Amino acid sequence: MKERQSPRARVDCLSREFGNEVLVYDLQRGVGHCLNSTAAAAWKLCDGNRSPPQIARTLSRQLSTRVDEVVVLLALDQLADAHLLVEPEVPVERLSRRVALRRIGIAAAVVLPLITSIVAPTAAQTASCVQLGQPCASNGQCCSHLCDVLLTHRCL
Amino acid sequence: MKKLDRLDWAERLTLSAFGVRAGVRVNVSGLLPRVLPLLPPGWTKSHRVIVERLYSLVVAQGCERAGMRRLHVLYADTMTVARDAALDQVLAALETDLHRYTAEATSDMTFLHAGVVGWQGRAIVFPGRSLSGKTTLVREMLRLGATYYSDEFAVVDNFGLVHPFARPLGIREDSSYAQTKYTAEGLGAASGVKPLPMGMAVICKYEAGARWQPASLSQGQGALELLANSFAVRSQPHQTLRRLHNLVRHSVFIKGTRGEAHEAAASILNLSCARERLETT
Repeated sequence: MKERQSPRARVDCLSREFGNEVLVYDLQRGVGHCLNSTAAAAWKLCDGNRSPPQIARTLSRQLSTRVDEVVVLLALDQLADAHLLVEPEVPVERLSRRVALRRIGIAAAVVLPLITSIVAPTAAQTASCVQLGQPCASNGQCCSHLCDVLLTHRCL
Repeated sequence: MKKLDRLDWAERLTLSAFGVRAGVRVNVSGLLPRVLPLLPPGWTKSHRVIVERLYSLVVAQGCERAGMRRLHVLYADTMTVARDAALDQVLAALETDLHRYTAEATSDMTFLHAGVVGWQGRAIVFPGRSLSGKTTLVREMLRLGATYYSDEFAVVDNFGLVHPFARPLGIREDSSYAQTKYTAEGLGAASGVKPLPMGMAVICKYEAGARWQPASLSQGQGALELLANSFAVRSQPHQTLRRLHNLVRHSVFIKGTRGEAHEAAASILNLSCARERLETT
């Protein structure tokens, strides 16, 4: 284990800004993420050259308020969990969320980083399902996920 | 496919809907008029020979023999979609599969799984999966004077405008899976024609006895909810994200658990009116 060096954001993801949030779609994993303002700002600064303390200083300048390094480390942990950073060759030391929150204190000057994720559905998952008693050819078509393929060819 | 091609096909039709070309062929004459109302709204006849998906409906003919059921079979290309003794059920399967395929394959529009109504020149969108209560809420909104756009798909163009997909509402009675079809006009409402900008997206699910106390969502969170209900995000991620970006530009998002639809519907329309007033002052 070693301390975080200079994290690098993955560039093979699609992203769009929605106000000060960023929606990121991971093409490889088929997962969508919504980064709140702090997580988004930290992610944009992950260029592989800046260390966490440098990111914290830059963020402080951008947001005109003091951003603790712990906030950046919390953001980086969440970004790493969401696979939005290039994986480091050597595993890095992680900060427990509880420890981080204790160190940040109640009166943090910035919004804590937050990433919400969803797995993008396949078209079949998105579509309305076939109802009870209606014809089907496979389990996946039915609302109940049960198609009687042997006898009636209807959803159970 | 060659085996299917060798059958005697009595009638065939090539159609285009939202830029997707599909073909339907049937082995008995006189059946196509029953197929036409099941095609995606706004479809047109196409004269192209090559289609992206070919439906073959093999209607069982001849006398039934004792101990043997004669089944009608629907194929999409070579894949069996439905096999049933009741022709109506097989036709319903054709409608479901064709609509789903159109939603998935079109690159002209982005399809979201959602109910949509028009209200004061804006679209109110209810994204949600099957059995989340979209249609019930849409029906209630129509009762309160909203215009019908769809109970199944929000169809979004490049500018982020929502187009109608006004197929008959499939209402599940008595909490069962079985649906009864109603036209908007049959329910006393009008169907929308003009594409509308989205004014509000309501993410909700039904829970018996729940009180409707929605919380607002940020634009990013709201867009993520829409992404979770988009058909082609895996196959067309660039277009989907771009259209969602345009769609949510002037929209608000609310999320909550609702009880009975009439309470939520009235609250949603009030909220929409209040927002409209706020914007005009």
